Amino acid sequence: MPFVEDPAHLSIARLKSDLLAHNVALPPAASKKEVYVELHLKNIDQKNAAEFSSDDEEETREAARESSGFEHSRDKDPEVTQMPDPSDLTDEYLREALLKHGVKAGPIVASTRTLYENKLRKLLLHSNGDDELYSDSEEEQEKRDDIESACSVLEEQKPEEAKKIKGENDKADLHFHRRDYSYQQCFLLSSRLRAHPSRNEKPSSKSLSKNVTKSSERSKSKSSHILAGVSKASSTGQHSGLRSGTFSITQMVQEMESRGSLSDCTVKELNSSRVGEHCSRSYRFAMNDLDKSRSTDQSLYHTPKDVHPPRGMKLPQESGKPILKDLFPDTKPTTTGIYVTPRRPIKGAAQRPVQYSYSYPDTLVSPVTLERREVERRLVSIHIQILFFFFVACILFYIYVNVQDSTVLALLDSFSHCFDKEGWAFLQPGTEGTQAVCKQD
Amino acid sequence: MSTTSQKHRDFVGEPMGDKPVIALSGIGETLGKKLEEQGFDKAFVVLGQFLLLKKDTEMFTDWLKDATGANSRQAGSCAQCLKEWCDAFL
Repeated sequence: MPFVEDPAHLSIARLKSDLLAHNVALPPAASKKEVYVELHLKNIDQKNAAEFSSDDEEETREAARESSGFEHSRDKDPEVTQMPDPSDLTDEYLREALLKHGVKAGPIVASTRTLYENKLRKLLLHSNGDDELYSDSEEEQEKRDDIESACSVLEEQKPEEAKKIKGENDKADLHFHRRDYSYQQCFLLSSRLRAHPSRNEKPSSKSLSKNVTKSSERSKSKSSHILAGVSKASSTGQHSGLRSGTFSITQMVQEMESRGSLSDCTVKELNSSRVGEHCSRSYRFAMNDLDKSRSTDQSLYHTPKDVHPPRGMKLPQESGKPILKDLFPDTKPTTTGIYVTPRRPIKGAAQRPVQYSYSYPDTLVSPVTLERREVERRLVSIHIQILFFFFVACILFYIYVNVQDSTVLALLDSFSHCFDKEGWAFLQPGTEGTQAVCKQD
Repeated sequence: MSTTSQKHRDFVGEPMGDKPVIALSGIGETLGKKLEEQGFDKAFVVLGQFLLLKKDTEMFTDWLKDATGANSRQAGSCAQCLKEWCDAFL
C-alpha cells in the first residue's frame, strides 16, 4: 500500500495531500520534491510513531502562522476531533462519510481504499478551509451552506431545496473560482446559472421536475439534472476537476453534434477542456435541443454511439445513428442504454491473430544462389568421387595386366600383397616396377 | 481525435483481448514494469481497476500516479484510452 511506503516514492501531489492531512504547513509552491519529502518524513512519520501528540500540533500550527499559505490548519483540531482519521474508518463508514460530502463512492476494496481516504481528507480539509475563509459574512456562510446542501441535494434530486441556489448565483462564482477542490458539481451549477442570469427570478417548484411546460425551464432543469448526473459520474474531483466536467460535457456536445446543432469549433474548444463561456454557449444550445432529452440516468448511461462517427470509428456504429435519431425524439431507449449493432469481425482479437501476407525468410537469398550453394557443396564431394574413381580404375588396370601373366591363386596372393604396397608403388613411374615388387614377395 | 497517438488508436480500435499492459496508451516500458510488479500484468486487469473506480478518469489518473509514479500526461492518456475503449466495447 502506498500509504506506508517511503515518501520519496510518492508523487508531489500525494505528499502535499498527506502533509495537508496531517496539518503541516506546505512549503512554497515552487519547492522541490525533497522539501516535501523531508517535511513528510519529519512530521508524518513522527506522528505515526507518536500517535498524534499535541506538541507536534502546536509546532505545526505556529509554523503555519508564519507561512504565507494555508490558514486552514488552525481549525483543523475541532474537525479532527469530530471525525476520525479516514484510514481508521471501516469501508462502510468511509462510504457514508464520502456520501455526506456528496461523493458517491464505488466499491471500496484494497486498491481503491487509499484513493477514497485521500478524497475524504481533502473534503474534510476544504470544508474546514471554507469555514475559515468564509465565516466573515453571514450571507456568504449561508450561501455556502445552501450550496453545500444543494450539492448533496442535487445528488438526491430533491427539487425544493435546490430552489435556493437559483437566487444566489453571482457570489457563488467567486467562491468556486477560488476553490480548486471539491464542490465541483456546484461549480458546474454556477456556470449554468451564469448562462442564464435572467432566469433566476423564476423559482417555481416545477422547474426542477421532469415534466415541465416551459422549454427554457425544462431545459434548465434538464441541464441541472444532467449536471447532477455529471457530478455523480465524476464525483468531487480535484484541481482540474473541469476535466471530468468536460468529460460529460463532451458527451452532451457529441449528442448535439448528431443533431447538427453545434459548430465544430465549440466541440474542439470543449474537448480542449475550456469550460468557461463556451460552456454557457453550449448550454444555451443545449437548452434548445435538450427539450426531449432524458433524465440524469440516461445521460449517465447513454452509450455514446454518436461519439464515434466524428472520431472515425467503424461503419456499423454510424448506421446506428439514424436509429438513435429516430429513437431520441420519440421513446426512451433501452434501460441499459446498449444499442446492438452488427460488427464486422475484428482482426487481432483472441483466436483471430493478424496474419501478414507473407513472412520474410531469415536470410534474403535468391533461389539461384541457393542452388549454387547446393552445387558447390556437392562439387567438393564430386572431386573426391572422381579421384576415387581414377584410383579404382588404376587398380583394375593393374589386375588386368596381372591376369595375363599368372594363375588365379598367384594373382590373388599378389593382389593381396600388391594392394598393401601398391599405395607406395603407385607413386613410382612405370608398371613393371610394380610387378617386380609383387613378384619378389 | 486530433491528439490521439497511434498507440491510442491501435488500442481503442479492437477488443483488448490478452494484450499486455504496455499496449495501453501512455504506458511504456518503465510504467509497464511497475504495473506488472503490482500484479497488473495484462491490460484487462488495469481495465478492472478503471471499472472499479466507476470509469472516473480523475480517480483513475490519481491512482495511476500513486501506483506507478506516472506523470499527468501519461496517466491522463491512459485514462482517456480506457474510457474510449469502454465507450466502444463495454
